Amino acid sequence: MEHMVARLIKIWLMFASRAAQSQFLTLLAGVLFLIGKIVRFLLFFVFLFAILSSSKTLADYSREQVIFFFLVFNLVDIMIQFFFRGVYQFRPLVISGNYDLDLLKPLPSFFRPIFGWTDILDFTTLVPLWGYFIWFVFTNHLFTGFIDFALFFLLLLNALMVGFAFHLFVCAVCILTTEIDHLIEVYLDLANMARFPTDIYQKGIQYILTFTIPVIILITIPAKALLGLLSWQWLILSLVISGLFLWGSLRFWKYALTQYSSASS
Amino acid sequence: MGKYLLLGKLTFEEYFVYRLNFVLWRFRSLVFFLTLFFFWLAIYGNRSEFLGYQKAQMLAYVVGIAFLRSIVLGSRSADLAGQVRSGELTKLFLQPIKIIGFWFTRDIVDKFLNLLFTILEITVVLLIFKFPLWFPQKPESYLFFFILAILALFLYFFLSFSLSVVAFWTEEIWTTRWLFGVIFLEFFAGAFFPIDVLPGWLTKIIYLTPFPYLVFFPLKIWLEQLSTVMILKAILICFGWLVFFYWLAHFLWQKGAKNYGAYGG
Repeated sequence: MEHMVARLIKIWLMFASRAAQSQFLTLLAGVLFLIGKIVRFLLFFVFLFAILSSSKTLADYSREQVIFFFLVFNLVDIMIQFFFRGVYQFRPLVISGNYDLDLLKPLPSFFRPIFGWTDILDFTTLVPLWGYFIWFVFTNHLFTGFIDFALFFLLLLNALMVGFAFHLFVCAVCILTTEIDHLIEVYLDLANMARFPTDIYQKGIQYILTFTIPVIILITIPAKALLGLLSWQWLILSLVISGLFLWGSLRFWKYALTQYSSASS
Repeated sequence: MGKYLLLGKLTFEEYFVYRLNFVLWRFRSLVFFLTLFFFWLAIYGNRSEFLGYQKAQMLAYVVGIAFLRSIVLGSRSADLAGQVRSGELTKLFLQPIKIIGFWFTRDIVDKFLNLLFTILEITVVLLIFKFPLWFPQKPESYLFFFILAILALFLYFFLSFSLSVVAFWTEEIWTTRWLFGVIFLEFFAGAFFPIDVLPGWLTKIIYLTPFPYLVFFPLKIWLEQLSTVMILKAILICFGWLVFFYWLAHFLWQKGAKNYGAYGG
Protein backbone atom coordinates (compact mmCIF):
# COMPACT_ATOMS: atom_id res chain seq x y z
CA MET A 1 0.00 0.00 0.00
CA GLU A 2 2.73 2.45 1.03
CA HIS A 3 4.70 1.53 -2.07
CA MET A 4 1.67 2.19 -4.29
CA VAL A 5 0.97 5.58 -2.70
CA ALA A 6 4.62 6.58 -3.12
CA ARG A 7 4.47 5.54 -6.77
CA LEU A 8 1.28 7.53 -7.37
CA ILE A 9 2.79 10.61 -5.72
CA LYS A 10 5.83 10.25 -7.94
CA ILE A 11 3.61 10.05 -11.04
CA TRP A 12 1.56 13.01 -9.85
CA LEU A 13 4.74 15.04 -9.43
CA MET A 14 5.70 14.15 -12.99
CA PHE A 15 2.28 15.25 -14.26
CA ALA A 16 2.58 18.48 -12.27
CA SER A 17 6.06 19.13 -13.63
CA ARG A 18 4.89 18.63 -17.25
CA ALA A 19 1.89 20.88 -16.65
CA ALA A 20 4.12 23.59 -15.17
CA GLN A 21 6.49 23.42 -18.14
CA SER A 22 3.55 23.72 -20.49
CA GLN A 23 2.25 26.75 -18.60
CA PHE A 24 5.62 28.47 -18.71
CA LEU A 25 5.37 28.36 -22.51
CA THR A 26 2.48 30.82 -22.32
CA LEU A 27 3.89 33.07 -19.63
CA LEU A 28 1.74 36.08 -20.48
CA ALA A 29 -1.43 34.05 -20.02
CA GLY A 30 -0.13 32.92 -16.63
CA VAL A 31 0.68 36.44 -15.54
CA LEU A 32 -2.76 37.72 -16.60
CA PHE A 33 -4.43 34.81 -14.84
CA LEU A 34 -2.48 35.52 -11.67
CA ILE A 35 -3.30 39.25 -11.82
CA GLY A 36 -6.98 38.37 -12.25
CA LYS A 37 -6.98 36.10 -9.22
CA ILE A 38 -5.21 38.64 -7.04
CA VAL A 39 -7.44 41.51 -8.19
CA ARG A 40 -10.58 39.47 -7.53
CA PHE A 41 -9.37 38.51 -4.06
CA LEU A 42 -8.37 42.07 -3.17
CA LEU A 43 -11.57 43.65 -4.48
CA PHE A 44 -13.73 41.21 -2.53
CA PHE A 45 -11.57 41.79 0.50
CA VAL A 46 -11.90 45.59 0.23
CA PHE A 47 -15.65 45.22 -0.34
CA LEU A 48 -16.13 43.01 2.73
CA PHE A 49 -13.94 45.27 4.83
CA ALA A 50 -15.85 48.39 3.74
CA ILE A 51 -19.26 46.79 4.34
CA LEU A 52 -18.40 45.22 7.67
CA SER A 53 -16.65 48.30 8.98
CA SER A 54 -20.05 49.99 8.83
CA SER A 55 -22.37 47.11 9.68
CA LYS A 56 -20.02 45.55 12.32
CA THR A 57 -21.69 42.12 12.03
CA LEU A 58 -23.13 39.69 9.49
CA ALA A 59 -25.53 37.04 10.81
CA ASP A 60 -24.04 37.56 14.30
CA TYR A 61 -20.47 37.07 13.08
CA SER A 62 -17.96 39.84 13.70
CA ARG A 63 -16.06 41.54 10.89
CA GLU A 64 -12.94 39.45 11.59
CA GLN A 65 -14.94 36.22 11.62
CA VAL A 66 -16.62 37.02 8.29
CA ILE A 67 -13.24 37.79 6.73
CA PHE A 68 -11.98 34.54 8.25
CA PHE A 69 -14.77 32.63 6.46
CA PHE A 70 -13.79 34.40 3.26
CA LEU A 71 -10.16 33.33 3.71
CA VAL A 72 -11.13 29.71 4.39
CA PHE A 73 -13.31 29.79 1.27
CA ASN A 74 -10.34 30.95 -0.78
CA LEU A 75 -8.01 28.36 0.73
CA VAL A 76 -10.36 25.43 0.10
CA ASP A 77 -11.37 26.68 -3.33
CA ILE A 78 -7.79 27.13 -4.53
CA MET A 79 -6.58 23.84 -2.99
CA ILE A 80 -9.37 21.93 -4.74
CA GLN A 81 -8.60 23.61 -8.04
CA PHE A 82 -4.90 22.98 -7.55
CA PHE A 83 -5.30 19.26 -6.99
CA PHE A 84 -8.25 18.44 -9.24
CA ARG A 85 -7.88 20.73 -12.24
CA GLY A 86 -7.36 17.67 -14.45
CA VAL A 87 -11.14 17.46 -14.73
CA TYR A 88 -11.11 20.47 -17.04
CA GLN A 89 -8.98 18.49 -19.50
CA PHE A 90 -11.01 15.30 -19.35
CA ARG A 91 -13.70 16.04 -21.95
CA PRO A 92 -11.29 16.16 -24.93
CA LEU A 93 -9.85 12.82 -23.80
CA VAL A 94 -13.31 11.23 -23.82
CA ILE A 95 -14.42 12.78 -27.10
CA SER A 96 -11.22 11.84 -28.93
CA GLY A 97 -11.14 8.36 -27.45
CA ASN A 98 -7.63 8.98 -26.14
CA TYR A 99 -8.76 8.01 -22.68
CA ASP A 100 -8.31 4.39 -23.91
CA LEU A 101 -4.56 4.88 -23.60
CA ASP A 102 -4.90 5.84 -19.93
CA LEU A 103 -7.10 2.88 -19.17
CA LEU A 104 -4.31 0.60 -20.39
CA LYS A 105 -1.82 2.03 -17.90
CA PRO A 106 -1.22 0.45 -14.48
CA LEU A 107 -2.90 3.34 -12.69
CA PRO A 108 -6.28 3.77 -10.98
CA SER A 109 -8.79 4.62 -13.71
CA PHE A 110 -9.59 7.99 -12.09
CA PHE A 111 -5.97 9.07 -11.74
CA ARG A 112 -5.52 10.82 -15.08
CA PRO A 113 -9.01 12.38 -15.20
CA ILE A 114 -8.65 13.92 -11.75
CA PHE A 115 -4.93 14.47 -11.24
CA GLY A 116 -3.79 14.72 -14.86
CA TRP A 117 -3.28 18.49 -14.75
CA THR A 118 -1.96 20.45 -11.79
CA ASP A 119 -2.04 24.21 -11.94
CA ILE A 120 1.22 25.75 -10.76
CA LEU A 121 -0.48 29.17 -10.77
CA ASP A 122 -2.87 27.98 -8.08
CA PHE A 123 0.12 26.89 -6.05
CA THR A 124 1.76 30.30 -6.34
CA THR A 125 -1.36 31.91 -4.90
CA LEU A 126 -1.75 29.26 -2.20
CA VAL A 127 1.60 29.88 -0.50
CA PRO A 128 1.08 33.59 0.34
CA LEU A 129 -2.57 32.95 1.12
CA TRP A 130 -1.69 30.32 3.74
CA GLY A 131 0.85 32.73 5.22
CA TYR A 132 -1.68 35.54 5.40
CA PHE A 133 -4.35 33.19 6.78
CA ILE A 134 -2.15 32.05 9.68
CA TRP A 135 -1.08 35.63 10.40
CA PHE A 136 -4.73 36.75 10.32
CA VAL A 137 -5.87 33.99 12.70
CA PHE A 138 -3.23 34.78 15.31
CA THR A 139 -3.31 38.57 15.13
CA ASN A 140 -7.11 38.66 15.40
CA HIS A 141 -7.19 36.19 18.31
CA LEU A 142 -9.23 33.64 16.35
CA PHE A 143 -7.03 30.78 17.58
CA THR A 144 -9.14 28.91 20.14
CA GLY A 145 -6.85 26.00 21.01
CA PHE A 146 -4.82 23.14 19.59
CA ILE A 147 -7.73 20.71 19.51
CA ASP A 148 -9.75 23.10 17.31
CA PHE A 149 -6.67 23.63 15.17
CA ALA A 150 -6.22 19.86 14.70
CA LEU A 151 -9.94 19.52 13.97
CA PHE A 152 -9.66 22.25 11.37
CA PHE A 153 -6.93 20.35 9.52
CA LEU A 154 -8.87 17.09 9.78
CA LEU A 155 -11.94 18.77 8.31
CA LEU A 156 -9.81 20.41 5.64
CA LEU A 157 -8.70 16.93 4.57
CA ASN A 158 -12.33 15.89 4.69
CA ALA A 159 -13.17 18.86 2.42
CA LEU A 160 -10.52 17.71 -0.06
CA MET A 161 -12.11 14.26 -0.02
CA VAL A 162 -15.51 15.77 -0.82
CA GLY A 163 -13.87 17.84 -3.54
CA PHE A 164 -12.34 14.70 -4.99
CA ALA A 165 -15.70 12.89 -4.82
CA PHE A 166 -17.50 15.70 -6.58
CA HIS A 167 -14.92 15.98 -9.35
CA LEU A 168 -15.04 12.22 -9.84
CA PHE A 169 -18.82 12.45 -10.11
CA VAL A 170 -18.43 15.13 -12.79
CA CYS A 171 -15.99 12.90 -14.71
CA ALA A 172 -18.51 10.07 -14.58
CA VAL A 173 -21.21 12.39 -15.95
CA CYS A 174 -18.76 13.41 -18.66
CA ILE A 175 -18.33 9.79 -19.77
CA LEU A 176 -22.10 9.36 -19.93
CA THR A 177 -23.03 12.69 -21.52
CA THR A 178 -19.74 14.38 -22.60
CA GLU A 179 -21.00 17.39 -20.61
CA ILE A 180 -18.56 18.77 -18.05
CA ASP A 181 -18.02 22.54 -18.21
CA HIS A 182 -21.38 23.71 -16.98
CA LEU A 183 -21.50 21.14 -14.18
CA ILE A 184 -18.15 22.31 -12.87
CA GLU A 185 -19.32 25.89 -13.13
CA VAL A 186 -22.48 25.06 -11.20
CA TYR A 187 -20.24 23.62 -8.49
CA LEU A 188 -18.10 26.79 -8.53
CA ASP A 189 -21.18 28.99 -8.26
CA LEU A 190 -22.57 26.99 -5.36
CA ALA A 191 -19.15 27.01 -3.69
CA ASN A 192 -19.12 30.79 -4.11
CA MET A 193 -22.19 30.91 -1.88
CA ALA A 194 -19.89 29.85 0.96
CA ARG A 195 -17.74 32.93 0.40
CA PHE A 196 -19.89 34.35 3.22
CA PRO A 197 -20.96 32.40 6.34
CA THR A 198 -23.68 30.07 5.08
CA ASP A 199 -25.84 30.89 8.13
CA ILE A 200 -27.09 33.93 6.17
CA TYR A 201 -29.11 31.67 3.87
CA GLN A 202 -32.60 30.31 4.51
CA LYS A 203 -32.84 26.84 6.06
CA GLY A 204 -33.97 25.22 2.78
CA ILE A 205 -30.94 26.56 0.96
CA GLN A 206 -28.68 25.42 3.79
CA TYR A 207 -30.04 21.88 3.40
CA ILE A 208 -29.30 22.00 -0.33
CA LEU A 209 -25.77 23.21 0.39
CA THR A 210 -25.27 20.40 2.89
CA PHE A 211 -26.76 17.41 1.11
CA THR A 212 -26.50 18.03 -2.67
CA ILE A 213 -23.19 19.70 -3.46
CA PRO A 214 -22.04 19.90 0.16
CA VAL A 215 -20.25 23.25 0.11
CA ILE A 216 -21.11 23.71 3.79
CA ILE A 217 -18.96 20.67 4.52
CA LEU A 218 -16.28 21.95 2.18
CA ILE A 219 -15.92 25.41 3.67
CA THR A 220 -18.24 26.38 6.53
CA ILE A 221 -17.61 23.33 8.74
CA PRO A 222 -13.77 23.59 8.79
CA ALA A 223 -14.05 27.33 9.41
CA LYS A 224 -16.44 26.83 12.31
CA ALA A 225 -14.16 24.15 13.76
CA LEU A 226 -11.24 26.55 14.01
CA LEU A 227 -13.46 29.21 15.55
CA GLY A 228 -14.54 26.66 18.17
CA LEU A 229 -18.18 26.94 17.02
CA LEU A 230 -18.66 23.40 15.70
CA SER A 231 -20.92 21.00 17.59
CA TRP A 232 -19.99 17.30 17.74
CA GLN A 233 -23.25 16.45 15.91
CA TRP A 234 -22.16 18.53 12.93
CA LEU A 235 -18.70 17.03 13.09
CA ILE A 236 -20.07 13.48 12.84
CA LEU A 237 -22.67 14.46 10.25
CA SER A 238 -20.06 16.05 8.02
CA LEU A 239 -17.82 12.96 8.19
CA VAL A 240 -20.75 10.67 7.44
CA ILE A 241 -21.97 12.78 4.50
CA SER A 242 -18.45 12.95 3.07
CA GLY A 243 -18.06 9.17 3.36
CA LEU A 244 -21.40 8.60 1.65
CA PHE A 245 -20.54 11.10 -1.04
CA LEU A 246 -17.21 9.41 -1.74
CA TRP A 247 -18.76 5.95 -1.78
CA GLY A 248 -21.54 7.10 -4.12
CA SER A 249 -19.11 8.81 -6.48
CA LEU A 250 -16.84 5.75 -6.70
CA ARG A 251 -19.84 3.52 -7.44
CA PHE A 252 -21.12 5.94 -10.06
CA TRP A 253 -17.64 6.17 -11.63
CA LYS A 254 -17.43 2.39 -11.89
CA TYR A 255 -20.84 2.32 -13.55
CA ALA A 256 -19.86 5.13 -15.96
CA LEU A 257 -16.73 3.20 -16.98
CA THR A 258 -18.89 0.28 -18.09
CA GLN A 259 -20.66 2.72 -20.44
CA TYR A 260 -17.46 4.20 -21.91
CA SER A 261 -17.76 3.71 -25.65
CA SER A 262 -14.22 4.64 -26.72
CA ALA A 263 -15.64 7.00 -29.34
CA SER A 264 -13.41 8.08 -32.25
CA SER A 265 -10.58 5.74 -31.31
CA MET B 1 -32.27 42.14 -43.25
CA GLY B 2 -33.89 38.78 -44.04
CA LYS B 3 -30.63 36.88 -43.57
CA TYR B 4 -30.14 38.38 -40.10
CA LEU B 5 -33.68 37.38 -39.13
CA LEU B 6 -32.94 33.87 -40.35
CA LEU B 7 -29.68 33.89 -38.39
CA GLY B 8 -31.61 34.99 -35.31
CA LYS B 9 -34.08 32.15 -35.79
CA LEU B 10 -31.25 29.62 -36.16
CA THR B 11 -29.48 30.96 -33.07
CA PHE B 12 -32.75 30.69 -31.15
CA GLU B 13 -33.17 27.07 -32.24
CA GLU B 14 -29.56 26.32 -31.27
CA TYR B 15 -30.40 26.98 -27.62
CA PHE B 16 -33.06 24.32 -27.71
CA VAL B 17 -30.67 21.77 -29.18
CA TYR B 18 -28.32 22.13 -26.20
CA ARG B 19 -31.09 22.25 -23.61
CA LEU B 20 -29.01 20.92 -20.70
CA ASN B 21 -26.45 23.68 -21.25
CA PHE B 22 -29.16 26.28 -21.24
CA VAL B 23 -30.85 24.94 -18.11
CA LEU B 24 -27.52 24.83 -16.25
CA TRP B 25 -26.70 28.35 -17.41
CA ARG B 26 -30.02 29.63 -16.08
CA PHE B 27 -29.48 27.74 -12.84
CA ARG B 28 -26.11 29.46 -12.46
CA SER B 29 -27.69 32.88 -12.97
CA LEU B 30 -30.29 32.08 -10.32
CA VAL B 31 -27.62 30.95 -7.84
CA PHE B 32 -25.72 34.18 -8.43
CA PHE B 33 -28.86 36.21 -7.84
CA LEU B 34 -29.78 34.31 -4.66
CA THR B 35 -26.26 34.70 -3.22
CA LEU B 36 -26.41 38.48 -3.56
CA PHE B 37 -30.04 38.63 -2.43
CA PHE B 38 -29.42 36.76 0.82
CA PHE B 39 -26.12 38.51 1.46
CA TRP B 40 -27.78 41.93 1.45
CA LEU B 41 -30.81 40.69 3.39
CA ALA B 42 -28.41 39.47 6.10
CA ILE B 43 -26.41 42.71 6.04
CA TYR B 44 -29.54 44.81 6.46
CA GLY B 45 -31.16 42.63 9.11
CA ASN B 46 -33.55 45.01 10.86
CA ARG B 47 -31.98 48.14 9.40
CA SER B 48 -34.01 50.13 6.92
CA GLU B 49 -31.05 52.13 5.58
CA PHE B 50 -27.36 51.31 5.12
CA LEU B 51 -24.51 53.02 3.24
CA GLY B 52 -26.93 55.46 1.64
CA TYR B 53 -29.29 52.78 0.32
CA GLN B 54 -32.70 51.93 1.72
CA LYS B 55 -33.27 48.19 2.07
CA ALA B 56 -35.78 48.17 -0.81
CA GLN B 57 -33.35 50.14 -2.96
CA MET B 58 -30.51 47.71 -2.35
CA LEU B 59 -32.69 44.72 -3.19
CA ALA B 60 -33.89 46.58 -6.28
CA TYR B 61 -30.21 47.02 -7.15
CA VAL B 62 -29.70 43.24 -6.88
CA VAL B 63 -32.74 42.60 -9.08
CA GLY B 64 -31.44 45.29 -11.45
CA ILE B 65 -28.08 43.49 -11.67
CA ALA B 66 -29.91 40.34 -12.80
CA PHE B 67 -31.79 42.26 -15.49
CA LEU B 68 -28.83 44.24 -16.77
CA ARG B 69 -26.69 41.11 -16.82
CA SER B 70 -29.27 39.71 -19.24
CA ILE B 71 -29.80 42.81 -21.36
CA VAL B 72 -26.33 44.35 -21.34
CA LEU B 73 -23.80 41.68 -20.35
CA GLY B 74 -25.51 38.72 -22.05
CA SER B 75 -23.37 38.10 -25.11
CA ARG B 76 -22.19 35.57 -27.65
CA SER B 77 -19.44 37.69 -29.19
CA ALA B 78 -16.94 36.02 -26.83
CA ASP B 79 -17.20 32.98 -29.15
CA LEU B 80 -15.57 35.02 -31.90
CA ALA B 81 -12.16 34.62 -30.23
CA GLY B 82 -12.48 30.83 -30.36
CA GLN B 83 -13.45 30.99 -34.03
CA VAL B 84 -10.39 33.08 -34.83
CA ARG B 85 -8.08 30.62 -33.07
CA SER B 86 -9.67 27.50 -34.55
CA GLY B 87 -9.98 28.86 -38.10
CA GLU B 88 -13.76 28.46 -38.10
CA LEU B 89 -14.00 32.12 -38.95
CA THR B 90 -13.06 31.31 -42.55
CA LYS B 91 -16.55 30.11 -43.42
CA LEU B 92 -17.99 33.42 -42.19
CA PHE B 93 -15.57 35.31 -44.42
CA LEU B 94 -16.95 33.40 -47.39
CA GLN B 95 -20.57 34.20 -46.62
CA PRO B 96 -22.37 37.36 -47.77
CA ILE B 97 -22.81 38.64 -44.23
CA LYS B 98 -21.20 41.37 -42.15
CA ILE B 99 -19.24 39.90 -39.27
CA ILE B 100 -20.29 42.58 -36.79
CA GLY B 101 -23.92 42.17 -37.87
CA PHE B 102 -23.58 38.40 -37.45
CA TRP B 103 -22.38 38.65 -33.86
CA PHE B 104 -24.77 41.42 -32.94
CA THR B 105 -27.71 39.31 -34.13
CA ARG B 106 -26.54 36.40 -32.00
CA ASP B 107 -26.09 38.75 -29.06
CA ILE B 108 -29.64 40.06 -29.39
CA VAL B 109 -31.11 36.53 -29.37
CA ASP B 110 -29.01 35.66 -26.33
CA LYS B 111 -30.19 38.78 -24.52
CA PHE B 112 -33.81 38.13 -25.44
CA LEU B 113 -33.77 34.59 -24.11
CA ASN B 114 -31.89 35.51 -20.96
CA LEU B 115 -34.24 38.40 -20.27
CA LEU B 116 -37.29 36.18 -20.70
CA PHE B 117 -36.01 33.60 -18.23
CA THR B 118 -34.66 36.22 -15.81
CA ILE B 119 -38.13 37.78 -15.59
CA LEU B 120 -39.64 34.37 -14.84
CA GLU B 121 -37.04 33.42 -12.23
CA ILE B 122 -36.98 36.76 -10.43
CA THR B 123 -40.76 36.96 -10.36
CA VAL B 124 -40.93 33.55 -8.68
CA VAL B 125 -38.26 34.51 -6.10
CA LEU B 126 -39.94 37.84 -5.32
CA LEU B 127 -43.33 36.18 -4.99
CA ILE B 128 -41.91 33.56 -2.61
CA PHE B 129 -40.26 36.19 -0.41
CA LYS B 130 -43.13 38.65 -0.91
CA PHE B 131 -40.74 41.47 -1.56
CA PRO B 132 -42.02 44.59 -3.34
CA LEU B 133 -39.97 46.01 -6.21
CA TRP B 134 -38.69 49.57 -6.14
CA PHE B 135 -40.04 51.68 -9.00
CA PRO B 136 -38.95 55.25 -9.81
CA GLN B 137 -41.34 58.03 -8.84
CA LYS B 138 -40.44 60.44 -11.64
CA PRO B 139 -41.50 59.50 -15.21
CA GLU B 140 -38.26 60.90 -16.68
CA SER B 141 -36.26 58.37 -14.67
CA TYR B 142 -37.70 55.59 -16.85
CA LEU B 143 -36.66 57.46 -19.98
CA PHE B 144 -33.11 58.14 -18.76
CA PHE B 145 -32.74 54.55 -17.55
CA PHE B 146 -33.89 53.26 -20.93
CA ILE B 147 -31.51 55.57 -22.84
CA LEU B 148 -28.48 54.63 -20.73
CA ALA B 149 -29.34 50.91 -20.81
CA ILE B 150 -29.50 50.98 -24.62
CA LEU B 151 -26.20 52.85 -24.84
CA ALA B 152 -24.71 50.35 -22.37
CA LEU B 153 -25.93 47.45 -24.52
CA PHE B 154 -24.08 48.81 -27.56
CA LEU B 155 -21.05 49.81 -25.48
CA TYR B 156 -20.69 46.30 -24.08
CA PHE B 157 -21.11 44.76 -27.52
CA PHE B 158 -18.27 46.80 -29.04
CA LEU B 159 -16.10 46.37 -25.92
CA SER B 160 -16.58 42.61 -25.96
CA PHE B 161 -16.04 42.49 -29.72
CA SER B 162 -12.77 44.46 -29.37
CA LEU B 163 -11.57 42.01 -26.72
CA SER B 164 -12.39 39.01 -28.90
CA VAL B 165 -10.62 40.49 -31.91
CA VAL B 166 -7.38 40.51 -29.92
CA ALA B 167 -7.36 36.76 -30.70
CA PHE B 168 -5.91 37.67 -34.12
CA TRP B 169 -2.62 38.49 -32.40
CA THR B 170 -2.41 36.32 -29.31
CA GLU B 171 -3.07 32.73 -28.37
CA GLU B 172 -3.67 33.71 -24.75
CA ILE B 173 -7.04 35.18 -25.54
CA TRP B 174 -9.04 33.43 -22.84
CA THR B 175 -6.98 34.96 -20.02
CA THR B 176 -7.23 38.40 -21.63
CA ARG B 177 -10.99 38.03 -21.82
CA TRP B 178 -11.14 36.59 -18.31
CA LEU B 179 -9.18 39.47 -16.81
CA PHE B 180 -10.82 42.35 -18.68
CA GLY B 181 -14.15 40.81 -19.68
CA VAL B 182 -14.95 39.07 -16.39
CA ILE B 183 -12.92 40.23 -13.39
CA PHE B 184 -12.57 43.96 -14.14
CA LEU B 185 -15.91 44.10 -15.88
CA GLU B 186 -17.99 42.53 -13.14
CA PHE B 187 -16.40 44.39 -10.24
CA PHE B 188 -16.01 47.76 -11.92
CA ALA B 189 -19.40 47.65 -13.62
CA GLY B 190 -21.09 47.25 -10.25
CA ALA B 191 -22.38 43.82 -11.26
CA PHE B 192 -21.63 42.41 -7.78
CA PHE B 193 -22.41 45.40 -5.58
CA PRO B 194 -22.86 49.18 -5.93
CA ILE B 195 -19.46 50.72 -6.55
CA ASP B 196 -20.08 53.63 -4.19
CA VAL B 197 -19.97 51.34 -1.13
CA LEU B 198 -16.22 51.02 -1.77
CA PRO B 199 -13.72 53.56 -0.38
CA GLY B 200 -13.95 56.94 -2.15
CA TRP B 201 -10.46 56.81 -3.72
CA LEU B 202 -11.23 53.45 -5.35
CA THR B 203 -14.62 54.60 -6.59
CA LYS B 204 -13.00 57.61 -8.27
CA ILE B 205 -10.53 55.35 -10.10
CA ILE B 206 -13.35 53.05 -11.25
CA TYR B 207 -15.34 56.03 -12.60
CA LEU B 208 -12.48 56.66 -15.04
CA THR B 209 -13.14 53.32 -16.78
CA PRO B 210 -16.03 52.52 -19.16
CA PHE B 211 -17.39 49.75 -16.91
CA PRO B 212 -19.64 51.66 -14.43
CA TYR B 213 -21.80 52.88 -17.31
CA LEU B 214 -22.87 49.31 -18.04
CA VAL B 215 -24.66 48.49 -14.79
CA PHE B 216 -23.96 50.92 -11.97
CA PHE B 217 -25.10 54.22 -13.50
CA PRO B 218 -28.28 52.83 -15.11
CA LEU B 219 -29.27 51.43 -11.72
CA LYS B 220 -28.43 54.66 -9.92
CA ILE B 221 -30.83 56.36 -12.35
CA TRP B 222 -33.49 53.74 -11.61
CA LEU B 223 -33.02 54.32 -7.87
CA GLU B 224 -33.24 58.09 -8.46
CA GLN B 225 -29.97 58.76 -6.68
CA LEU B 226 -28.52 61.03 -9.37
CA SER B 227 -29.35 64.62 -10.17
CA THR B 228 -30.41 65.51 -13.73
CA VAL B 229 -27.00 67.08 -14.37
CA MET B 230 -25.26 63.91 -13.19
CA ILE B 231 -27.53 61.78 -15.36
CA LEU B 232 -26.81 63.85 -18.46
CA LYS B 233 -23.10 63.72 -17.66
CA ALA B 234 -23.27 59.91 -17.32
CA ILE B 235 -25.13 59.58 -20.63
CA LEU B 236 -22.62 61.83 -22.37
CA ILE B 237 -19.59 59.95 -21.00
CA CYS B 238 -21.18 56.62 -21.89
CA PHE B 239 -21.79 57.90 -25.42
CA GLY B 240 -18.13 58.99 -25.60
CA TRP B 241 -16.98 55.52 -24.57
CA LEU B 242 -19.37 53.99 -27.09
CA VAL B 243 -17.91 56.07 -29.94
CA PHE B 244 -14.40 55.09 -28.85
CA PHE B 245 -15.13 51.35 -28.68
CA TYR B 246 -17.12 51.48 -31.95
CA TRP B 247 -14.04 52.91 -33.60
CA LEU B 248 -11.69 50.53 -31.79
CA ALA B 249 -13.73 47.44 -32.74
CA HIS B 250 -13.74 48.42 -36.43
CA PHE B 251 -10.09 49.41 -36.38
CA LEU B 252 -8.95 46.19 -34.70
CA TRP B 253 -11.17 44.12 -36.94
CA GLN B 254 -9.76 45.63 -40.12
CA LYS B 255 -6.18 45.20 -38.91
CA GLY B 256 -6.81 41.73 -37.52
CA ALA B 257 -8.59 40.37 -40.58
CA LYS B 258 -5.47 41.11 -42.60
CA ASN B 259 -3.47 39.22 -40.01
CA TYR B 260 -5.78 36.18 -40.06
CA GLY B 261 -3.93 32.89 -40.57
CA ALA B 262 -7.01 30.60 -40.78
CA TYR B 263 -5.37 27.93 -38.64
CA GLY B 264 -7.19 24.68 -39.07
CA GLY B 265 -9.80 26.39 -41.22
